[in-house]
Amino acid sequence: MIELLDKVDKPNVIENSCLLQGKEVLASSFTPDKKNHETIAKQAFNYVFLNVARMNAKHNEAHLEIGDKRLSGFILKPELVLVCMSDKACNIALVRDHVAEVKKLFLQEQVNRMLA
Amino acid sequence: MKDHKILFTGAVCAGKTTAIRSLSDIETLDTDAKASDVTVRRKKNTTIAMDYGVLELAQDSRVHLYGTPGQERFSFMWEMLANQFAHDAIGLVLLVDNTRKDPFRDVRFYVKEFGEYIRKRRLIIAVTHSDIEPNPGYNDYLACIRELGLMATVMFVDVRNPKTVLSIVEELISAVELEINWAEVGERILDHNGFSLDFYKPIYEETLLDAAMNKRGILGAMHLGAEQEVLSSNIDEQQSVALLKSMHKLSSAIAQKSELVGEVSNIVVGGPAVRTLSMFSDDDQALCLCSERDVSLPVLKQQASDLLQWSRENDYLA
Repeated sequence: MIELLDKVDKPNVIENSCLLQGKEVLASSFTPDKKNHETIAKQAFNYVFLNVARMNAKHNEAHLEIGDKRLSGFILKPELVLVCMSDKACNIALVRDHVAEVKKLFLQEQVNRMLA
Repeated sequence: MKDHKILFTGAVCAGKTTAIRSLSDIETLDTDAKASDVTVRRKKNTTIAMDYGVLELAQDSRVHLYGTPGQERFSFMWEMLANQFAHDAIGLVLLVDNTRKDPFRDVRFYVKEFGEYIRKRRLIIAVTHSDIEPNPGYNDYLACIRELGLMATVMFVDVRNPKTVLSIVEELISAVELEINWAEVGERILDHNGFSLDFYKPIYEETLLDAAMNKRGILGAMHLGAEQEVLSSNIDEQQSVALLKSMHKLSSAIAQKSELVGEVSNIVVGGPAVRTLSMFSDDDQALCLCSERDVSLPVLKQQASDLLQWSRENDYLA
């Protein structure tokens, strides 16, 4: 999983990232000084996507601007959320496009693992 | 002929166009277009490029008056005016509408946007609409500029009255133009331009939700109070209402715990085949929007910010 995060972090787009499964952090590139952001992201996206599921809604991404940062959560597959932290001023489309690329790699890796 | 220049800036409806019309000896150039966004809550037309007028001070002296558009999406014009047309202006006049929910937010915003420009010339903070909303007062503005480390002059003006707007010009120009008969100039422009009736037109015709709905791509809006109570809403879908309320609840919960990382300004949820739901919080209230997926977040943010600046406390104006 941590290899995937290496591909997620990108200068000027995504500063830190982590993978969430429910309330558990599977892997993280959040530095110690950014652990507060990781904790908020974990609780917030868990709450948001729980509500989305409860309402039978189809939303699969959430963004939360806090202070000068933006935390974005993307559902990669059921129960697995990729969290990315960017500067608030960073274009959200860049984050989305980059995550879409990473998601492809992630899914490919899953398929490869199943076929192996 | 001595030519001076002054640049006027400020938020939508702060009074830039009216101020320049009040002063100008020539028919002003204005680039008004029918407002298509939250501005309609306050007025029918809005400046989309620039305002321009000329004030004759004496036979051999005049002032060119430039006004920026208020909306941030026309900020490319701010740059053009600051770097080209008015790059050699003697001062910047920042008009601040005192009826805005947080006028100091506007001060901070424009001081940041025109930071480099202000460093090289004088800044006048001209507070308007204080006849409708007297607070914050003069001392509050002084405290604000002190906090920002600014050297600025604060003046309370009624931009409909040419003489009071002229006092801004006098404040800026009198140091370099010692021979001007300001009283005579004031009488002349009052005779010529009269009192503007701009602000006496019926304004504030639209509600917060109507204004939100006027924006392309917005499908519904909901205004929430501090306790998540619905102040007004036109979102029918219960699923969206519930999700938006939960987002506001989340924002309040984080606000109580997130001193170290800052305040939550907005939460947005989206997806490939769904409408985007966004919640913008602002102290004691929140604006929730349901929009088409292709509406960009920066546009939504600016619209929401403007709507919230003219919100609850000012609804008596509606």
